[in-house]
Amino acid sequence: MSGAARTAARRGESRSLPALTSDRGIALLLSAIMAGLMLVFLVMPVAAILLRSLDTQAGPGLGNFAVTFADPRFWDLLVNSLTVSLLSSTLAVSLAYLYAYALQRSNVPLKPLLRIVVMMPLFAPSLVQAQGLLLLLGRNGAFNRFLGFDLDIYGFWGVALANTLYTFPYAFLILSAALAVADARVYESATMLGARPGRIFRTVTLPATRYGIAAAVFVTFSLSVTDFGNAIVIGGNFSVLATEIYNKVIGQGQFALGAVIGVVLLAPAIVSKLLEKRISSRQQAQMTDKSVPLTTRANRMRDLVLSGYCYAVMIVFLAIPGIVATASFVKLWPYNMAFSLKHYAFDVQNGTEPLWNSVYVALATAGLGVTIATVSAIVVQKFRTPLSGPLSFLAILPSSIPGMVLGLGYVLAFNNPANPLNMMYGTLALIIFLYVYYNHAQAFLIASTSLKQISSSFDEASTMLGGGVVRTFFKVTLPLLWPTLLGVGVFFFMRAMVSLSAVIFLITPETQVAAVSVLQLADRGAVNQAAAFSMCIMAIVIACLLIVRLVLWLAGAKSVTLIR
Amino acid sequence: MDSKLCITALAALLLSVPAAADEITVYTSYEEDEAARFLELAKQDMPDLEVNMLRLSTGELAARIIAEKANPQHDVIWGFAASTIVTPQIEETLEAYRPKGIDAVPKEFRAADDKWFAVTGYMAAFCVNDERLEKLGLEKPTSWKDLLDPKYKGEIVMPNPASSGTGYIQVSSLLQMMGEDEGWAFLEKLDKNVAQYIKSGSKPCHAASAGEFAVGASYDMRAIKNIEEGYPISMVIPAEGSGNELEANALVATSKNKEAAKRFLDWTVTKTAADAYLEWKAIVTIPGGTMPQRFLDAGLPQDTNSVLHPTDFKAAAEDRKDIITTWQEKFER
Repeated sequence: MSGAARTAARRGESRSLPALTSDRGIALLLSAIMAGLMLVFLVMPVAAILLRSLDTQAGPGLGNFAVTFADPRFWDLLVNSLTVSLLSSTLAVSLAYLYAYALQRSNVPLKPLLRIVVMMPLFAPSLVQAQGLLLLLGRNGAFNRFLGFDLDIYGFWGVALANTLYTFPYAFLILSAALAVADARVYESATMLGARPGRIFRTVTLPATRYGIAAAVFVTFSLSVTDFGNAIVIGGNFSVLATEIYNKVIGQGQFALGAVIGVVLLAPAIVSKLLEKRISSRQQAQMTDKSVPLTTRANRMRDLVLSGYCYAVMIVFLAIPGIVATASFVKLWPYNMAFSLKHYAFDVQNGTEPLWNSVYVALATAGLGVTIATVSAIVVQKFRTPLSGPLSFLAILPSSIPGMVLGLGYVLAFNNPANPLNMMYGTLALIIFLYVYYNHAQAFLIASTSLKQISSSFDEASTMLGGGVVRTFFKVTLPLLWPTLLGVGVFFFMRAMVSLSAVIFLITPETQVAAVSVLQLADRGAVNQAAAFSMCIMAIVIACLLIVRLVLWLAGAKSVTLIR
Repeated sequence: MDSKLCITALAALLLSVPAAADEITVYTSYEEDEAARFLELAKQDMPDLEVNMLRLSTGELAARIIAEKANPQHDVIWGFAASTIVTPQIEETLEAYRPKGIDAVPKEFRAADDKWFAVTGYMAAFCVNDERLEKLGLEKPTSWKDLLDPKYKGEIVMPNPASSGTGYIQVSSLLQMMGEDEGWAFLEKLDKNVAQYIKSGSKPCHAASAGEFAVGASYDMRAIKNIEEGYPISMVIPAEGSGNELEANALVATSKNKEAAKRFLDWTVTKTAADAYLEWKAIVTIPGGTMPQRFLDAGLPQDTNSVLHPTDFKAAAEDRKDIITTWQEKFER
């Protein structure tokens, strides 16, 4: 089939010969702009880190790598990182697949609620999740203290659990998009040929969502491997490579050795890129011009079982922010449970100003991010230029860069008087670009997954009718894609509201953002005030979602899935 | 969108040109609330001086200063761990300066080459969760030695000295008071009871306050503030004598507004500043002044010198690298 698709693509090209020159020009220009931006805001900072890793007292060389690899502790941490990430990635993708399947292919009630609740970890700084887990499952957590359990969350299993919950929404977003579209004709034929539901799932549904699964595994694994927030709070004595970077850079000021580990953590990106390429080359478009959208049939037994599963998952995802919110509204959790609003009187430096800074930054990140991620996806998926290969690699590279490493790279690259863009250092604009590229991989994958599912025969038809690349985009691709793009925008907005580790090195007294205030409150022991601040961030994110939803509703697009 | 962003960037650039001549940027590791109070007073005394302050933890600030070395953004370092400020990569960014009135600060709290001086400091202290002790039927420990008792096994959390200044002064003070061999042997015994080495100096106290563990080795002000928050903890100053750290101020050599930076540093040794420090800090190096009642209530003696182990700050700074390497080999998990 891929052969046939390629032939079709070639035929499409030959048919569009008259428009070729200008189209080719636009394709190349757009590719060049995307490549240029990536060069400045991604490659340069990463290169700055690479250079640092080669920086030894005896001049440039591989000495730091030799030192790191000779340390048995490094290999222990590598094993820790890989095992815990493999486990949590497997769990997150399996659980999210079933959840997404239930929402897309069955009639479980209250779908909008189910959809929004599992997104909760994205709405608040990651500190909320770690704090919530400790309040629930810590040695003095609610389960132990009030229900008489004897749990000890610290260690391998705690980190695996935390990372599973933390990466679940990402897996769900990707898998939900992959399961959203299906061609009913294939299912009808399978049923008519006598295949039972289990067999249909194995032979039709699963293969059709292969690309989504691969993307979800890759994203969740990368997120787990590079996350240090959960591991540092819940890991106890269980350390991983990402916490070791923190240890080296923040703890001991050993940039070069921290950079070496940062470079090692780039490896998953390269491996998974190779794997992803192999898998996606066999992927075919789900929706073609002849497709019939799949409608869900009634099946009470199936709906009952899936509902039970979904509500169980929902309770877990509600409990975590729920207990943190409770802690922010009582005098002193868990010792004094009297209601109090005292944690909402923010006496942090600059008060609530960082909150408004963040809203501004998040809106700008959403606008810029959607534009950049979509154009990148189109450039890679639809235009075949010599830049497509390198671009598609760079597009997903950010997901394997720990936020702290990328942030450090920005400082090293942009706070250099020799850099013509040095003037951007210390401005919100640079923070906006950092957020865009830090979150580029997920946005790009979501946009690509959706693009892949729009058959190239739509493009061909448009091209045959004389539409150029630009016209085809605005008349054909955009109308099909815009709900996804709104979702990507919301995703960028959320990430810019809550991400912390990447910007910790870029904030200045004038460019304080909300997530940093949360960290500072937690640092000085005002954990309940930190929780209160997080709740405000969460409220803003949810308000943004509701506003976008209202706009959609007013525009008459009532059935659009916003977050996908 | 791109052009819009260019405009944003341009606007930001135009706005970031120093507006007033007397504007400085100060990097500090003082805790958020105390820094805010000190700064408020500084502004009252010098209304024409615009101070932009960035507060980060000791480790984060050190990393930031080193990362920005090619083009430092700050004029003054304020309230920053002395054992970290002497890191060569940071020390070489400083310029010697003797503030007006520096003689109020005794010599042992100043660098010999005048590159930094310390007006405040902090000392090691245990945060002990009384509720948890009672639940487990344990007595309150009063010394480091008490913590060796197997009944505390799994109930002690300590900062990791490699990433925490507080953790380092705890380890280095034990080594200084017991000597190398005995000190390391002691730490090995202690290690058997330690549940976790946490990366920051205040987190062990928070963990004890939250009731996750019975004993968190931390520092004085953290304990006092958590007691005031209402947590069921008490502060224990180890009977052997408490290790302590200085918080240093310094002038950055690349400052573009040195006169203003010097004015600010002069202010940090004035009477107003000293009085403010006394409200927030158990260790103030400028003599005179009395300790607030709330510190005494939390368990500090009027004369802190009576509980401090006389720290050799010079040795503590010089031995830092070796001690941490040995510690990591022995205990880092």
